Amino acid sequence: MSAPLAALGLFGDAIDVIFHAREGRAGGAQVGGLSDFGAMAWTHLKVVLASVGLASLIALPLGLVLGHLRRGGLLAVTVSNVGRAVPSLALIAVFIAFLGVGFGNVTLALALLAIPPILTNTYVGVTQVDRDVIDAAKGQGLTGAQIVREIELPLALPLIFGGLRTSVVNVIATATIAPVAGVVTLGDPIFSQAVYGDAGKLAAAIVVALMAIVAEVGLGAAQRAVTPRPLRGTPGITRRARFLPTLRKGAATS
Amino acid sequence: MTRTTKPDDGGPTATPAASLRFDAVQKRYPGNARPTIESLSIEVPAGEICVLVGPSGCGKTTAMRMVNRLIEPTAGQILIDGRPNTERAPADLRREIGYVIQQTGLFPHRTIAQNVATVPKLLGWSTDRIAARTTELLELVGLDPEFADRYPAQLSGGQRQRVGVARALAVDPPLMLMDEPFGAIDPITRERLQNEFLRLQAQVRRTIVFVTHDIDEAIKMGDRIAVMRPGGRLAQYATPAELLLSPADEFVEQFVGADRALKRLALGRVRDLELEEPTRVRYGDPVAGVREALRRAEVPYPLVIDADGRPLAWLDDDDLHGERIADGIGSEVAVVDRDDILRDAFSDVLQHRVQYAAVTDHRGVVIGILSADAVARELAPPGPAPVQPAEAHHGTGA
Ligand SMILES: Nc1ncnc2c1ncn2[C@@H]1O[C@H](COP(=O)(O)OP(=O)(O)OP(=O)(O)O)[C@@H](O)[C@H]1O
Ligand SMILES: [Mg+2]
Repeated sequence: MSAPLAALGLFGDAIDVIFHAREGRAGGAQVGGLSDFGAMAWTHLKVVLASVGLASLIALPLGLVLGHLRRGGLLAVTVSNVGRAVPSLALIAVFIAFLGVGFGNVTLALALLAIPPILTNTYVGVTQVDRDVIDAAKGQGLTGAQIVREIELPLALPLIFGGLRTSVVNVIATATIAPVAGVVTLGDPIFSQAVYGDAGKLAAAIVVALMAIVAEVGLGAAQRAVTPRPLRGTPGITRRARFLPTLRKGAATS
Repeated sequence: MTRTTKPDDGGPTATPAASLRFDAVQKRYPGNARPTIESLSIEVPAGEICVLVGPSGCGKTTAMRMVNRLIEPTAGQILIDGRPNTERAPADLRREIGYVIQQTGLFPHRTIAQNVATVPKLLGWSTDRIAARTTELLELVGLDPEFADRYPAQLSGGQRQRVGVARALAVDPPLMLMDEPFGAIDPITRERLQNEFLRLQAQVRRTIVFVTHDIDEAIKMGDRIAVMRPGGRLAQYATPAELLLSPADEFVEQFVGADRALKRLALGRVRDLELEEPTRVRYGDPVAGVREALRRAEVPYPLVIDADGRPLAWLDDDDLHGERIADGIGSEVAVVDRDDILRDAFSDVLQHRVQYAAVTDHRGVVIGILSADAVARELAPPGPAPVQPAEAHHGTGA
């Protein structure tokens, strides 16, 4: 370990273990180092992308259609409440018990966790589009599909991205449980503290936190970018979504 | 003025206005005990404004929205140019019917130009043609071209309403539906928009169904007025003058209001009345000559004009002394334009001590005098003494 890092104590040690492999606590194989953490980070990222991608594939169209029809509001809200009430650890445990371990099952479990914020925000985003705007669009001869594509989707995008951001950050954090199901994400050093030691555990936490921050900031920028220009800087959309108490977390967009 | 239509460009050409007929149309909303509209039959000739007016909840909006099939009738049918509106797919039908609502419903994420171009784009017009038409439309509704790239949120309510009208006119539809288009606008702007719209209509001559609950607006805008009562029943369908002169029943009479005689003033223009001749004088004229001229005059006061014939001041007896008329004396003149509606002109007249107003042409030159008496005569058409209800009268109105 280099001198400046040593001065930082455990934190410095954690940084060090990210960059330099060392002997495992339990003896035997080398742990840590860029290739080890890189591989875990890559797996972590893959499982996050796969599960959020799957969740979006389900929640986006469903939210758009339900919102367009202004039906199933109860479903959207219930899903979001159930999603938050069931602890993710329990969810994964149930999945392993019934479906077994592996990347696919973890992805499925995490997707279930990622669906509620996207579904709820998409639904709310579409339903909060001014009814008069929809009426005028219909009255001018736009078809249902054209109204979804050209009016409802663009106007709901800011909220949709808010939901996506919440999902991604949640899943990044929760994917640390994946090693329990045999998928070696950045959660491994945390669960295998016996091998990685305190420094390894802290190092993994730091990398996960960094990932979450990057996702948060990046998607925040994307959210601003997709907000139609004239609607930027008007907090009306966010505020209205927050009025629904059950959506407090799911609809967070700020 | 310059409606460009390029038949070679694939879009619709300048379509003639359509006629419209409601044929025993009924609407019952599911769950409602009584039908909102029991049986409505109206005929609107091509190129006319038909105003649907009536108390809140009587079914005006419902009736209007059945025309472009935003609502489907329970029974009966609606014919456009003699053909049932159910012959076409709703989306196709709607693209050929202009639609203006009170809340405008402009797309907040689209610029004004994009909003106006909505239907042309749906119909697949070329970019060039759309751009040309958009510029033309903004001009037509009195909006500066610089608004083209703004967003709806950057416009005032009145400006947004103009955009709404421009959008509805985009493909020169044979039929337009307007639901309280000027309802949410302050009275002064509303009056201006109404006047501009009437001027516009004189150019484009579309068939228009215009919904309002304001009888004054109905009288001003309508070629024909359908007064509806709760239950969507037609109480009277008549021209504004007929409605004011002979309301069909007590409901219509009440709805039209006790001041319906005064409301008739909204129908006439200053130019329709017989004007009186003033005694025109100039500052510096000999007083004796003026006194002589006054002896034979209809209007007992001399009107001072300038070298171009524009009105300057009224003189009265006190002003007529000395040798010549002194510079700058006299009292203020109420001036009305020959094209003003009588109601506005009358209120101008009443605001001045002298109950006369100078009537000018578009250059501001005096062409005659409007007296309060002449207006009063207009209000009491020849016939039985005006103590009886107006049913006894047989005037044709203004
Ligand atoms: N979708 C609907 N379902 C059930 N009833 C409806 C529906 N739409 C309108 N109504 C009822 O039909 C009646 C007429 O409504 P409509 O909107 O046509 O009235 P209106 O004359 O336009 O009134 P206003 O001047 O207030 O706009 C009202 O009593 C209303 O409650
Ligand atoms: Mg209405």
